[in-house]
Amino acid sequence: MAEFELDCLGEACPVPLMKTEKKMAGLKSGDTLIVHIDHSCAMKNVPEWARKQGHNVEVEEVGDGEWDVIIEKC
Amino acid sequence: MKQFFDKISKNRYYAMVFKNPFTYVTGAVLLSLFQIALFAYSGNPWGVSGAFANWGAWIYRLFGGNVDKWYYFSSSGAQQTLDAGVLNNSGSLMNFGIAAGALLAALLASQFKFKKIKSVKQVVAAVLGGLLMGYGARLAGGCNIGALFSSIASLSLSGWVFALFLLVGAFIGSKLLAKFFL
Repeated sequence: MAEFELDCLGEACPVPLMKTEKKMAGLKSGDTLIVHIDHSCAMKNVPEWARKQGHNVEVEEVGDGEWDVIIEKC
Repeated sequence: MKQFFDKISKNRYYAMVFKNPFTYVTGAVLLSLFQIALFAYSGNPWGVSGAFANWGAWIYRLFGGNVDKWYYFSSSGAQQTLDAGVLNNSGSLMNFGIAAGALLAALLASQFKFKKIKSVKQVVAAVLGGLLMGYGARLAGGCNIGALFSSIASLSLSGWVFALFLLVGAFIGSKLLAKFFL
């Protein structure tokens, strides 16, 4: 049940999604990944991809134009 | 004042219209309606990158350059557009509108942010990518708006040819992206 973080601040699509996919591949079931993003498209496509994979996803608006996507690997 | 904004930010119509992103279908329908309205009003299909070439020519003229002999600007129509100036160029005005509208949308959603530049690599990729896209769009006679969106909407085969090669370019681009940015 480890927790990981991925800093994608300042990065535009599709880099946050590609980085998330790569990072998630290395996680174990039950692990959590927190992706920091400030690109509004990534706020749509990262959760969309993760939900399609069957992971638990939560999006939190942490500031103006800044989000944390919290993904729990299934 | 703060109370007022707190109240608005909890309003569900505010969330629906300004805060939450539209679905792809909503966006597509709105784009279609607006481009039909634009075509009906101005008589020209929507384009974006054509105006950038004019901006280049105007900047070059500011510094005393002359583009009259350049093949790209040699037609009398192109010369007329350049002589009329930026404020009489509908393509330029629409591009200003896009920038102003995007800023307004970000502000209304309370999502405006100055983003940090992550690395020199990012700057190099952005500049190189921008140059390639601009150059390619002029060679192709349009970008993904003029040569793809407006062409397909006008039932022109060229839009589909453009789409095919756009996919080829996107495939190569994503391979390069994965190689240099992951």
